[in-house]
Amino acid sequence: MFKHKMTVMFSVLVLLSMVLSACTVAAPAPQPAAPAAESGEASWWRTASQAAGCEGVTIRGVSESTPPSRYAADVLAASFEAETGIKVELEATSWDEMYTKAINDMQAGTGIYDFVYIEQDIIYQYLANDYLTNLTQLLADNPELASPDFDFAKFTSFIDNFKDADGNIYGVPMEAFLKVYLYRLDLFNDPAIQEAFKAQYGYDLAPATTHQQYQDIADFFTQYGKDNDMELWGTTVQGNTGHASSFYEFFESIAPTFGVYNWGINQDNWKASVENGGEMNSDAAKEALAFWVGLLADAPPEATASTWDEVAASFAAGRAAQGWVYGENAAWIATDPERSKVVGNVGVALPPIAEGVMADAESGAGYIGYYDGGAFGLPVSSQNPLCTLLWMQYVGQESVQADWAIAGSRIVMESTYDDPKVQEVDAKVDGYYTLMRESGPLFRGAPPFPFHSALREVVQPFIWKALSGELTPAEALDQAAAAADAELVNLGYGQ
Amino acid sequence: MRSNRAGWALLTPTLVILAIVGFLPFLYVLYVSFFDWNPFSNQLGMKWTGVDNFRRLVFDGAFLDSLWRTGLFAFTTVTIELALGFLLAQTLVKSFPGRTVFRTIYVLPLVMAPIAVGATWRLLTIPGFGPIPYFLDKWFDIDFRLATFADQAFLTVIAMDVWHWTPFVTLTLLAGLTAMPKEPLEQAQVDGANRWQVFRYLTIPMMMPVLLTVIFIRLMDALRIVDEVFMLTSGGPGTATQFIGIHIYRVIVPKTDYGYGSAMSLMVLYFTIVLCWLLFIALAQVGKQRE
Repeated sequence: MFKHKMTVMFSVLVLLSMVLSACTVAAPAPQPAAPAAESGEASWWRTASQAAGCEGVTIRGVSESTPPSRYAADVLAASFEAETGIKVELEATSWDEMYTKAINDMQAGTGIYDFVYIEQDIIYQYLANDYLTNLTQLLADNPELASPDFDFAKFTSFIDNFKDADGNIYGVPMEAFLKVYLYRLDLFNDPAIQEAFKAQYGYDLAPATTHQQYQDIADFFTQYGKDNDMELWGTTVQGNTGHASSFYEFFESIAPTFGVYNWGINQDNWKASVENGGEMNSDAAKEALAFWVGLLADAPPEATASTWDEVAASFAAGRAAQGWVYGENAAWIATDPERSKVVGNVGVALPPIAEGVMADAESGAGYIGYYDGGAFGLPVSSQNPLCTLLWMQYVGQESVQADWAIAGSRIVMESTYDDPKVQEVDAKVDGYYTLMRESGPLFRGAPPFPFHSALREVVQPFIWKALSGELTPAEALDQAAAAADAELVNLGYGQ
Repeated sequence: MRSNRAGWALLTPTLVILAIVGFLPFLYVLYVSFFDWNPFSNQLGMKWTGVDNFRRLVFDGAFLDSLWRTGLFAFTTVTIELALGFLLAQTLVKSFPGRTVFRTIYVLPLVMAPIAVGATWRLLTIPGFGPIPYFLDKWFDIDFRLATFADQAFLTVIAMDVWHWTPFVTLTLLAGLTAMPKEPLEQAQVDGANRWQVFRYLTIPMMMPVLLTVIFIRLMDALRIVDEVFMLTSGGPGTATQFIGIHIYRVIVPKTDYGYGSAMSLMVLYFTIVLCWLLFIALAQVGKQRE
């Protein structure tokens, strides 16, 4: 009897698993078209792969799950395998997990990953620890593996972030974008709304150029949402109270618009507090934090749980009238009707800034916002450096850039801006790519701190506490600056 | 003699595995705890600092706060789970219609992985979309925002843990109640004891070994909680739900302060061992009294 029951149960389990398996594989997700390769190129890649003994080899990488990385994993990896016989397994995972996995692997020298995503802000940590292979040298040592279609000189000046003091390159840029000011064209261009706004504030409704204007617009649309029973708020805030994303939004996007650069750290003596020559708790920094925390009153309820992904999702869902949004999301928010409710209604502008900030940015003394991006780097612990070198050159070809730019709103080569396909999308994204080309130099990546994540971990709890109201902005920054000073000493800086 | 040898032979594989995966890593952590080692500091490599890392702990407000928070969390959850678990076990020990169905549904949270529990509660509580904030707002006009209000976050984490682990407490206590001899209870009733007296002077003392075992298991689990809370709140808002496990994770993984993080881990291990020891003593006392 027992045996009979067991047999019946086992049969049911097998049947269920078969049905589930069938459901799982029944509908493969449609993939974007792979970039076409010319026959000559294909033969060069195949020959190089054979020469390096890479055919049939599998190389592994880890990257953040962003639109550009997913394109590399889904499209470029497949076409590269078809051309070279080298299989690429690219793990596109969460930002935190990516760093944990990459750093653990490189530190232990286990060689699990043949390439890793290096964000612009982490490169200085990696270089200080000799984690990465000198690509300039590797190419010079293996001229037979240097693709005729690959040239470091074709990249924008963003590649400078991945050079050491001698000009050697340690990463092939794969994404670069701005954190821009997005706003809703349909709302801003509505005559009735324009009239109501002007009646209330005495000036025309337009993308904010000052913080006061930004605040007014945020207040106005929050009230407009309430009055019209709409799920609409005045602004997004990347204000997660337990994730590093809020630290980044404040120090890399908001504080610079108030004239507080490089996280407020004095790079001459490595001090953060005003008393020691830093700016982390300066009046301007406190004003910036008060402004940003104050925006929570005009932000959707999910704001304090939002990282960069949720901010993009909130804007795409039509829940905010304006916001600072990572540019890697601009194209899909503006053009993909399956994921966005605001297709065709996305405006792009420079963020609002305080007096004197533009002059700082133009002179190079400061910047108006965050220029984000990353590259693929080759860890010294890689088991397949030469096969990986081929992959990195493959993704660094001019021919693959345009489709990649459209899929991920990223541009790493000057020539990509002129591609007709990119220009067509540019028109639909209110000139995001043009803005990036023309105003990109006004933005800047993270400061070159080798202690980047260690210091962030010390400072971010104070930002979270300011966001949750546990501390006032002034208290939060005073305590953050004191903690940063102490941690910098711990880390061997600013003794 | 032969049975001793056979016993050791059978134990050897387990002991070898334990030594490799348990004892050697412990020794390594102990070794690292005496060094200042952060690969991203200005000074590369490990620098001997003696007991400095342990001394730092005593003055580290963030560490002490997270320790206190963990203690409060463990005490609260274990107390609630024990009270609810006992109540439910007393109910389930009796026969009533639908008891089997209720018991089956009731233990479902127990089979869920902690990370899935955290994900489920996150979906339930996400502001703007989750049903809990929606209904709290609609029915009671409560502004429920887990990532904004520290008290709400702490209470929600407690509720999640109680939801997850009360079935375990119930099942264990139910087993204890079922195995309890009936004669003393019937004798007491015949002697005129009321229900409270039976519960206070017979059921509780007879259940004491089971109760202490449950407290022991749940306390250890509660003290090392990480995954559910990390999934739900990431330790926020601010540091409101940053329990010691999450604090150590942040020090060792993103901050890469390996030496200090190791010292922290050892200190927590020490506290846990002391607690275990106290509970063992209590168990032994109960055993002696019963004899």
